[in-house]
Amino acid sequence: MVDLIWLVPALPLVGFAVLLVAGRRMGEPAAGWFATAMVGASFLTAVVAFIGLGGLEEQVFVQTLFTWMPTGDISIDAGFYLDPLSGVMILFVTGVATLIHMYSIGYMHGDPNFSKFFLYLNLFVFSMLVLVLGDNLLMTFLGWEGVGACSYFLISFWFTKPANASAGKKAFVTNRIGDWGFMVGMFMVLFTFGTLSYSEFLPLAPGLATTTATFIAVMLLIGAIGKSAQMPLFVWLPDAMAGPTPVSALIHAATMVTAGVYLLARINPVLAVSADWVLPLIAWIGAITAFVAATIAVAQNDIKKVLAFSTVSQLGYMFLAIGVGAYWAAIFHMITHAFFKALLFLCAGSVIHGMHEHQDMRVMGALKKFLPITFGAYIVGWLSLAGVPPFSGFFSKDEILAYAFDVNPVLWFIGLAAAGLTAFYMGRQAFTVFWGTPHWHPEEESVEEVPPAVTGTEAEVLADADDPAATSAATVVATAQPAVDVSDLPDDFEPHESPWTMTVPLVVLAVAAAFGGLLNIPLPSSLHFLERWLSPVFELGGPTKLSLSDGSILLLLSVSALVAIGGTLAAAAVYLWHKVPSAPLEPAVLANGWYIDSSITAFMGGPGTAGFQATADVDTKVVDGAVLGVGAGVGRLAQASRYLQSGHVRRYALSVGVGTVVILGFMFTRVVI
Amino acid sequence: MELFPSDAVFTPDVSWVALWPMVVMALGGLLLLTISSLGKGRIPRPFYALWAVLTSVGSFITAIPLWAQVHGWEDAVLWYDPEVDPTGPFSTVGGVIAADGFSVFLTMLIAVSMVAVVLVIEAYLDREQDRFPEMFALTMFAALGGMVMVSANDLIVLLLGLETLSVAAYVLAAMDLRRVQSQEAGFKYFVLGAFSSAFFLYGIAFIYGATGGTGLVHITDFLAANVLLGSSGLMLLLGLGLLIVGFAFKVALVPFHSWSPDVYDGTPSPLVTFMSSVVKVAAFAGMLRVLVMAFESAGADWRPVIQGLAVLSLVGGALGAIVQSNVKRLLAYSSISHAGFILLGVEAASDVGTAAVVIYLTAYSALVIGSFTVVTLVARSGDRLHTLTDYQGLGRTSPLVAGLFTFFLLAQAGVPFTAGFYAKFSAVIAAVDAGTAWLAAVAMLSAVIAAYLYLRLVVTMWFVDPAAETDTSHVGVPAAAGIALAGCAAAVLWIGIFPNTLTDWAERSVPAVVQPAPPNLVESGDEADADVEFEVGPDGMPGMPGPMPGEMDFGELDLESLGIDPAELEAMLEGGDLGFDVDVEFEDPPG
Amino acid sequence: MPEAVLLGGEQTTTAVEWVVFIIAATTTLLGSFGVIMARNPVHAALSLVGSLFSVAVLFLNQGAEFLAAVQVIVYTGAIVILILFVLMLLGIDTEEDLEDEPLRGQMPVAVGIGVLLTASVFALTQLVGFDVVTGTPEVTAAIRDDMPNINQIGRLLFTDFVVATQLAGVMLTVAVVGAVVMARRPREYQPIPEPESMDAPLSLDPTDQGADNGAEVAD
Repeated sequence: MVDLIWLVPALPLVGFAVLLVAGRRMGEPAAGWFATAMVGASFLTAVVAFIGLGGLEEQVFVQTLFTWMPTGDISIDAGFYLDPLSGVMILFVTGVATLIHMYSIGYMHGDPNFSKFFLYLNLFVFSMLVLVLGDNLLMTFLGWEGVGACSYFLISFWFTKPANASAGKKAFVTNRIGDWGFMVGMFMVLFTFGTLSYSEFLPLAPGLATTTATFIAVMLLIGAIGKSAQMPLFVWLPDAMAGPTPVSALIHAATMVTAGVYLLARINPVLAVSADWVLPLIAWIGAITAFVAATIAVAQNDIKKVLAFSTVSQLGYMFLAIGVGAYWAAIFHMITHAFFKALLFLCAGSVIHGMHEHQDMRVMGALKKFLPITFGAYIVGWLSLAGVPPFSGFFSKDEILAYAFDVNPVLWFIGLAAAGLTAFYMGRQAFTVFWGTPHWHPEEESVEEVPPAVTGTEAEVLADADDPAATSAATVVATAQPAVDVSDLPDDFEPHESPWTMTVPLVVLAVAAAFGGLLNIPLPSSLHFLERWLSPVFELGGPTKLSLSDGSILLLLSVSALVAIGGTLAAAAVYLWHKVPSAPLEPAVLANGWYIDSSITAFMGGPGTAGFQATADVDTKVVDGAVLGVGAGVGRLAQASRYLQSGHVRRYALSVGVGTVVILGFMFTRVVI
Repeated sequence: MELFPSDAVFTPDVSWVALWPMVVMALGGLLLLTISSLGKGRIPRPFYALWAVLTSVGSFITAIPLWAQVHGWEDAVLWYDPEVDPTGPFSTVGGVIAADGFSVFLTMLIAVSMVAVVLVIEAYLDREQDRFPEMFALTMFAALGGMVMVSANDLIVLLLGLETLSVAAYVLAAMDLRRVQSQEAGFKYFVLGAFSSAFFLYGIAFIYGATGGTGLVHITDFLAANVLLGSSGLMLLLGLGLLIVGFAFKVALVPFHSWSPDVYDGTPSPLVTFMSSVVKVAAFAGMLRVLVMAFESAGADWRPVIQGLAVLSLVGGALGAIVQSNVKRLLAYSSISHAGFILLGVEAASDVGTAAVVIYLTAYSALVIGSFTVVTLVARSGDRLHTLTDYQGLGRTSPLVAGLFTFFLLAQAGVPFTAGFYAKFSAVIAAVDAGTAWLAAVAMLSAVIAAYLYLRLVVTMWFVDPAAETDTSHVGVPAAAGIALAGCAAAVLWIGIFPNTLTDWAERSVPAVVQPAPPNLVESGDEADADVEFEVGPDGMPGMPGPMPGEMDFGELDLESLGIDPAELEAMLEGGDLGFDVDVEFEDPPG
Repeated sequence: MPEAVLLGGEQTTTAVEWVVFIIAATTTLLGSFGVIMARNPVHAALSLVGSLFSVAVLFLNQGAEFLAAVQVIVYTGAIVILILFVLMLLGIDTEEDLEDEPLRGQMPVAVGIGVLLTASVFALTQLVGFDVVTGTPEVTAAIRDDMPNINQIGRLLFTDFVVATQLAGVMLTVAVVGAVVMARRPREYQPIPEPESMDAPLSLDPTDQGADNGAEVAD
């Protein structure tokens, strides 16, 4: 049964190929259903292969398609590597992808590029499966580049919006930094072991010299940071939300962004032998990202931006888990996160759909009546992400926190604080969007008194307040985010529930998000299904063994639960019952993401751009300047020659001359007397 | 005491088998010119294209037995004659033309590239309703120059090959008489090319002064036996530096690159396929043979220079390309970055590096010919649409062309399982193998930056709607161009997925240091007196031009017609005062 | 063995050689001065011929027959004739004010460089001596002293460098063909206007198509 593993990526590829040729002819919705069927078939194959893997003794299956480079001392095969880790990954990737494909049929309804969208989605699923299933770093790299390119294409899908194109660019550029790290790390592996195959080099990893292992680990870590949007390369992910919502759900929440975590988990034997600061570094990156992104999420107004920063924050948890040696906990959280974050994004998509493409939470409110199914599903996702027991997020997050507590209580505390913030910002979103009063009627807007959520009138309202600090902060917010224009909505506008193709996936995902925690019940340890299943993969990596007593675990569980519930209640106090003014809680510095993005933009737009331009213009400007400087006395001649454009040639000749002089000068230094 | 009289003439040994590819190309070009001038326009243009294709194919076919021979598979050659035909790597015509795996493989590569280039030119001329048999003839002569360069075992011959190639290329650049930009390109190329050729020639002069010869084998041996100090060393190094400048200009390395964007932009698009493939192949081959083979012992002196050029080209090319809005200029900068990659193989100065260069050149030729063929087609009639705006929405109007272009661009970006990736991979391996891992890291960084600009083009084609001024007419693919495109795409895919064959070939394509065969003594009589064999010492022998160490068999000589008195020779032999070993068998012993 | 030894070995300067040298050197210098002093450009060109021709004589005096021949054929024969052609075709205005220098301050610089050059040549001969041959022994060893160097070069061209000779022929053919192609300008050709700017302003936006892109999006 495991022999069928090649079918898992092959089916979406077939889907891609067929859509490429006949997609336009299939039209809507046939193309969408076809793509969904392909991914669904892939999911079924994955299930079959997974069951087959369980029956194997070794629980590792390598399928070599062909040998790419057999000659010499370097051998690279193209093949698939199925082990407990990749088995779990393909299951949830194909599963979630199938649901999101189905959802997209409804969501992309009426889009002129309907079939093209599914074309890219299928290509993406193929790339992601190659990434996960590849039996060597090169295959993973192929998938890695593939998902990056698809992400870039899909973010730019609605290229009519300039912001999308720019976001696509940012995602691409940021990812290149990570790709560079991946490439260098990959070559280092190749030169160290003479092979890239996981089944060959990972067992050898314990014999690595510390410096080599550290180098490889750090390079691949750079790759993982870029792909998984960790500090400081996280700026692209929130902007990537410019793409269609199913894309955000599939690529920027459930699958692609977890590739970095997967990579780190995959190379755990290398991490184990690298210098003793590497793992703590990963843990700290994760913890700080989790916290900072959570603070930013608190002050976002775009419904998808909140979820985006939340994704960054949750990915931080996964890094934290890797860093404290709880590899399986990272995978656990990855799975549950895939469920509930995909669910939340799809709900957000449903809301946006119902709100006629309005994404600003400030124009929503009281939607629970209008979108009942979405609302129900959202509740599950919300409580799961907030970490409220017994939803899945509670279990997976708590495993990570327990390990963090065991390794370094400071990390645990940061993680706990982030968890509290998570509960808070999710509560804020839930209460703003689904409860309260509706804000989508322009005329109601004007008569309404001191609206609880931030609106365009907030600045004036708060200007009357006594607290000058709040006033200035609010002014900044108001200036940065002008009033949302809802005048395009018809007067009799009413949000509507989405079609069944969209709500069915919501329900399925809601079930998964609710019960995903069953994969791994914290107590008693006999119920650690996932940990046991994954343990062969992490054997060489020397995973941390939890040394806490059952009592301490229970205590930690209760603390987490209390924090989650406390955060939710706090949000309710502010946004549901309006006991506390919300503005001071949403300072501009948070709304603007600690200005990290804008400072990068400022750099790229200022000195960075200037740098590129200077490089490009070195022929025309710098050299020309030198020539003109020298030639100040040659005045007329220079003028005349510039008319004839021979100025160019002279300039070029000068650059040749300068190069020659430098080379000859170097040669002088080499003379042996 | 002179053994030979002063008017004895030593003619070099000629192995025609090594010369046939060039001779075919030269004759093909000359005959094409003759036919076209005699035909006075009555001959249809496709005839010339066919002629050029057949010539290139003929050149390729004549190289096949040579490939077998230099690898010692002479049994495979039907007409192999062990008496006259050498086996294994050899050099001929006094050692100025080398026949080794390196030269033969690249000769074949040039011949194959020529077929594709000619097809693209034909498609272009057909579209422009233009007759230019000279365009074919000049590319053929340029290809001849390229073949000479890849085989040249002597700096003078290398220079002449380079000049033949360059002069033809200058004219080709200016060939679009309708566009002033094309003339400007030709002019710039010519002036700067002449400038750099002067450097090159000056370098040859210095090297001659330092080593006493221009033959690469001679230089190799001389440097192996002597350590040059002081002014001689300076002379050698200056010569070396000037040679590098000459090569760097031809392959457009930063800072000697500035001509290339302008020239690529101005040159008729189909001819850019030629400039970016054959010209680069030839120039890199010459560079590799000179630096890696002849100046191997001076590696410590030239490797840092090449490293510096590589870094500048890798980074400069990639960054420069980012800001271009003209596709031809963009690809010109990208080819600068590619040249930086190839330098990694040169810089490695090893067999691995040489193989990497060969692999890269092969892959790159396929990629760049494919890319510029698309550019030619998209430019439409008049060869004028080259801005990014003109590529907007191409995916919708002409999916086939856009798809192929996307494929070539992704391959250039180095996506795994394409030729581009394998080429970059080989270059990086070579650099690390040679202990310059930092250079490999810079190269990867450049690849990462460059990927942006390729993707930018892809996005333009598939995701940007055509602007108002964009020509949205369908881009058709004429049969001739279609064959070229299909061939390039197949090669890119094949190299990418099954790189072993190419690797195998590339590993066989290593330049060899081979002593020239002894010259023949021109005989004036028909009666032979003696069979003379000379063992000549390192200083050569009196009466012969230049040092020619090694064993020489002069065969049967008619001593009297040469003015040698057999009795005198006999006395000299007995006296042992010749200064070299000689083994003479007299057919008719004197006295 | 041939008796005529023109060059090499122990060099002795005969009285005839001295006389020839003095005469030729004097005419060379006179010619050079003529080039820069003559008011009439044609006179200047003719002075150049004299100067170059005298240099040819100097070459001959040194036994470099080939160089002498090349000097006459290439410089006097081709280059100066070309200069004269250009002068005649363009119809030089003899009244043009030669005092009006196109390059300001060129004269003192030229004088300075000239003095420097002379000084360095003088210094070189004083410090190193006249009879120094640079380069490796082989460079000079390869030159035979029993044969005029024209013969030697001729032999080399048709033996060791026969490929180079043939190639030079091909190259000249290419040049001639190129010249013909460039000169032929069919009348039906209409020049195609070129876009003005070739370098776009910097944009990191992948969909930004540069400045010349008017309507970027239309959907």
